[in-house]
Amino acid sequence: MRHKFYGSLLAIAMLLSLVAPAFAHHALQAEYDTTKRGAFTGELTKFALINPHVRWYFDVKNPDGSVTKWEVTGAGAGPLRQSGTSRIFKVGDTYKVTYAPARDGSHLGRVVNFTFQDGRVVTLFHEDPNNPNDN
Amino acid sequence: MTRHVFRFSATTAFAVAILWCLPARVAAQYEAGGQGAQARAGNQADVSTPRTADGHPDFTGLWARGSSGNSTGVDPNAPITVLTKGRPCAPGQAECAPGVNFERDSGVQQRMTSNIPVYKPEFWEKVQYLDHNGNAEDPTFSCSPAGVPRMGAPAQIFQSGDQMAFLYNQGNTFRIIRFGPHDPINSVDQTPTGDSVARWEGDTLVIDTLGFSDDTWLGWPGWFHSNNMHVIERMTRQGNTLTWQATVEDPDVLLKPWTMEMRRMQLNTDSKAFLLPDLPCSERDLQHIVTKERG
Repeated sequence: MRHKFYGSLLAIAMLLSLVAPAFAHHALQAEYDTTKRGAFTGELTKFALINPHVRWYFDVKNPDGSVTKWEVTGAGAGPLRQSGTSRIFKVGDTYKVTYAPARDGSHLGRVVNFTFQDGRVVTLFHEDPNNPNDN
Repeated sequence: MTRHVFRFSATTAFAVAILWCLPARVAAQYEAGGQGAQARAGNQADVSTPRTADGHPDFTGLWARGSSGNSTGVDPNAPITVLTKGRPCAPGQAECAPGVNFERDSGVQQRMTSNIPVYKPEFWEKVQYLDHNGNAEDPTFSCSPAGVPRMGAPAQIFQSGDQMAFLYNQGNTFRIIRFGPHDPINSVDQTPTGDSVARWEGDTLVIDTLGFSDDTWLGWPGWFHSNNMHVIERMTRQGNTLTWQATVEDPDVLLKPWTMEMRRMQLNTDSKAFLLPDLPCSERDLQHIVTKERG
């Protein structure tokens, strides 16, 4: 429950970061289907602290042993960097990632939340109470 | 331990985001004629305006949020949480969580202003095209400079003698403002920030800029300009309040000069605050965008 509360604070932080006047950008819905959710578990291979969106890159192992490259994006880098949240992700660690899928079908998503190996859940999206997939 | 770190990070992220939002919100209230920003400014009226040795106002200072070791957690029950409220949702309305529609709402909000540059009739079709295709055409979407005047007021100012340095937290941009005539080389070269010279009109700093490239915009809705643009910025400092307003003259494309809404900033009085260098910009979304929605 407390995880959810602090995760919500992060979600709010990300939401507010969008208000920053420096960045105008495409609507989330132009790139992602925000009504849908997907999930994978993979190894973080790179965390890119860049504008206009931070990006996480993952290797996801398939049952046949092959590896699929996945990429998820967040909001602007500034708030994550200043809060130190950008430094909680470690390359080589495994995360379960829930995301809103890209509309073009690529292995890309807008991150909803990360589940860390120790069970922490970090929410970086805007939880939608009307979406039954957001629990 | 990790749990504490997580709580701290989440709370701090919230605090930083709140601070990040304040200038924009204050500016929006001011532009809308609201009382909030005026009240804030009124609180600064008792602070004396620092002056340089020659008697002019000293604009030196950090006029934006900055990074600081003084960040503390915030009370989630404080009134500031009002800012997190989204627009009202109709019963059963899809995609109505606060934030999911931020860009859409922002787009509507930005179109609600009545203060728009008036283009010559033959250019309205171009404005509409650029606006309709903004995801691909807006130079800032692909990490190109916003330029003057779109990047607004500086985040930090250093004032010394006959020069001033303006720092912007957008692509680590800086401008050197000189007192005197335009430079014969820099004012002819075409750049996003042009060649800027300043003069004093009483306590008002007037900055005259020309020598622009034509690949920046004046604003989000496809407001382009020509190489022949001439920008006059007017800045004042009263106590710890800085005002900035820009007027655009572009007789090649505009029927009349256009004056942007005034921006008002408060001095960051945190002695430990500093302007954190901006991070690299790398656009990687455009290839995945399937609609023209933006905000």
